[in-house]
Formats: sequence, structure tokens, C-alpha cells
Amino acid sequence: MHSVTLYHWEPNANSGKPMLALMEKGVAFESHYLDLLGFDQHKPEYLAVNPQGTIPAMLHGERVLTESTAIMEYVDEAFEGPRLMPEDPRDRWRVRWWMKLMDQWLGPSFSMIGWKLFVGPAVRDKDPKELQAAIERIPLPERRVAWRKAISGAFGTAELDESRRRVALGIRMLEEELAKRPWLASNQYSLADINGFNLAYGLPVVWPELSNDELTPNILRWLRTIYARPATKACWAMGRTNMAKRAAVLEQPHGDSGQRA
Amino acid sequence: MNTMLYHGEPNGPSLTVLATLFAKDVQAELVHIDLARGERHTLACAQEPQVAMSVEGEGPVLVVAGEAMTDSVFLACYLDEVGQGAALRPADAYGRWETMTWCRQMIERTAPAAAYLGCRAYPPRADAALLQRIGSVDLRARWQEIMAGNFSAEHLSDSRTKIRQTLEKIEQRLAGRQWLMGTFSIADIESYAWLAGMVSLVPEAFVGRPRATAWLERVRGQAAVGKALSLARSVDPAAVWSVGPEINRWG
Repeated sequence: MHSVTLYHWEPNANSGKPMLALMEKGVAFESHYLDLLGFDQHKPEYLAVNPQGTIPAMLHGERVLTESTAIMEYVDEAFEGPRLMPEDPRDRWRVRWWMKLMDQWLGPSFSMIGWKLFVGPAVRDKDPKELQAAIERIPLPERRVAWRKAISGAFGTAELDESRRRVALGIRMLEEELAKRPWLASNQYSLADINGFNLAYGLPVVWPELSNDELTPNILRWLRTIYARPATKACWAMGRTNMAKRAAVLEQPHGDSGQRA
Repeated sequence: MNTMLYHGEPNGPSLTVLATLFAKDVQAELVHIDLARGERHTLACAQEPQVAMSVEGEGPVLVVAGEAMTDSVFLACYLDEVGQGAALRPADAYGRWETMTWCRQMIERTAPAAAYLGCRAYPPRADAALLQRIGSVDLRARWQEIMAGNFSAEHLSDSRTKIRQTLEKIEQRLAGRQWLMGTFSIADIESYAWLAGMVSLVPEAFVGRPRATAWLERVRGQAAVGKALSLARSVDPAAVWSVGPEINRWG
């Protein structure tokens, strides 16, 4: 029996961050897959683990840890294996700065569009009574609002436009930063890259007009390099839906990706 | 190594960084700028991405060896690592996880609420030409809304709720302990920095919270915090606010 148990959804966004960090460190863990679209995260058995009903959550011994980015820092410090935070304090600051930008500014914009295009339509056809009951079980009021909005499709034009603006600007910022050095926040592979890959691995498929080999060669180089790592391959193989399969486009060499939707 | 700190009045993010800097005895040239007049956007480094796009909004800028750094909690982590004296984060990984998750809650929920309420009570003022220099479109939009006096009733109400919830959480956390993480830490500094100004603006949040009230006094009594507060140019630095982090727009 492993001392670590991870409750997660697909290797994507917040779930994928601790998954990939654990696998890069070589830490074996018991995987509990939660079907986000089936509302597993709001069922009593999971709320007993994480009363907030957010994914992911990690058990280490008796302790329950939440918040994906903070879990990654914990994983890096608590276990043996390759260090995923640089030694230099200024590099460490840069890792945290980029993770915050992605977690709080860029990620929510990707997420809003993703929820409008994929999550809402994926659950909308369920029995309305079942959906209503599922929403009422959500502990955090912000998440209840988000789910209602996704299901009803009630996104305003202005907020979607703002999200698209941020996605386009965020992609440009990532490209400019990755032109400075091999990895996002320092000269070594770090938690910022793990965080960023979870956010950006689908770019060439979902946003081919903004991210491709011509416009964003450094992003594509970065994504391919990360996807070529054994831990990333193993992690994305844990995906059960077509979402994780989008990473397959990163198998293609330069010039043969980025233009296919 | 040449270190400069551009900071505002000792309140909110500037207080976090100043108090940490003094607690860790880090040598830096201190330059006071008026964040409430948008002076950060006149700095030579203002258009660098890490300054222009700082999620924190109008916070201090630490320049180390030519690199401009922002976001007060992460600046505090940096100072904790390069400075001297007692560590401002627990030594064990779990304690550090607790510190980071605590600060994330402060950054994401409490700070936007406090800044929103603070700016309504004490509006910052920047001239029109300076507003046009703000690199971040969304930060500029927040400035414009605040200067026009456009505060939503929903956000105001939600912000007061978040301040009350923060005090409730602090009160619970302090059961049987003096400091939020057991020993004096970045979590105490960051929490105090955003809440000191809420005592007068959301007084009901502090009613019946004896542990939190005593803790505020304890934090204020720390030498490093006192030294930071002594740099104030205003009578009450807790009444000086500038545009803060964005209120969560999705989920």
C-alpha cells in the first residue's frame, strides 16, 4: 500500500499538476480517478476527504493536502528524487510568479472558454433533477455559480471576449519568456514548467491560430520537450477521455503540428 | 548585490515586503513611491512583464541585480531565503504547505476584498496621462472603475463577507497558539497587512474575536512590523489604499 493517495481527474490543469510532479519525483501513489463531469467530486465519499469538493486532493499518511500548486511544492520538498524547484532564490521567485500568473490570471480564462465549449455541453443533457441535486451538493458558492453558468451557457459576450484577450496575451507572454531560456522560469525544468504544460499542452489543437510553429516556435519546442519526458508520457497515459489525447499532437516533429484542429 | 525596494505606504503589500525585509535584515535602498497615485507606472521597469502584469495590482517592486520582482508573498519568500535570522516559514514541508495555502487564500480571497473596500473608502487618484501608461489592460480598467466611483453592491457585500470569513478563520486557527503557523511567519505578516485597515471599515468582523484582536496587537508589536510602520508619511497608513488584485472573475 502506498503512503500517498491522489484524488484527481484527467491529467489536465489542476489535477495534472500533482500527478506529474509525483511522477517526475518517482513517487508511487494510489490513484483515485474522479469523474468531474459525473460530479464525483461532490459526492459524500469525496467530501469526507476534502469538504471543499475541489480536485485534486492528496493524502500523505493521515494528512490531507489541497491546492494543486501548493501540493506540488510539498511534493518537491517532502520526497526524494530530482529537485523541481531551482536552488537560486531569485529563480524560485520567478517560478512562483509564473505559477501565480497561470493559476489566477491566465488559467481562469482558458477555463471559462473550456467550460463554455466542453464542460457545459458535456453535462447539459443529463436529467435536470439530477443536475440540480448535483449543483446543490457543491460546497463552495463560487463553484455553484460556475456550474450553473456552464450548464445554462449563460456566458456574456464581454466576459468571453476578455478571456480570449487574456489567452492571446498570455500566449504571447509565454512565447517571449521561453525565447529567453530553455525552461519557463529558470534554466532547469521546474514546477513552473509542470504547471505551464498542464495549462498549455492543448494549445496547438485548441488555439492553432494563436500557437503554432511559425507564431510560437518556443512554446512548441517547450511543449514537445516536456511531452517527450518519460514521466509526462506515463502521466498523460492515465487520461481516460479525449482531452488528454490532445497531447498526441506533440509527438509530431516541427512543421507537422500546430495547424490541425 | 544591488537591491532596491520601491514601496508605498506601509499597508497591504508594501507592509508585507517592508516588514519581511526588516525581519530578515536584508540590506536594500528604500525608495518611497505613491502607489495611490499610480507612481509605480513611472518607474523605468514599469513595462517589464513581471511588473506590468503582476496579479497583485499596485504593489511594491524589488529590484535585485537589475531584475524587477513583484508579488508580495513571493518577495517575502525570497527575502526569507536570502536574509538572516529566524526563518519566517516553518522548517517542515507540511508547515510550509500550510503557509503557502494560507497565503494563497489571503492573496486570492482576502486581498481583493480588502483592496476593494479600502479603495472605496480612500480612493486612489492618478492623472489621466499616467493611467494611459498602465501596461495591463485589466489593471487600467480597475483604476478607471474606481476613479469613476463605480463600486458594485454585489462586490461590496461579498467583500465584507470575505473579511468576516477571514477573521472567523483566524480566530479558529489561533485556538491554542500565538501565531498562525505556530511561530511568527510570513502568514502573520501578510494577513495583518491586509486586515489592519479593515478594523475601521468592517468593524463587525472583529466583534467577538478576542484571539484575532490580540493577535493583531502581537503582530503590530513585532519590531520589524513597527519599523515598517515607522516609515509612514501619512497619519494612518492603514487608510491609504491603491488598486488591488482582481476579484475572482471565474469560479
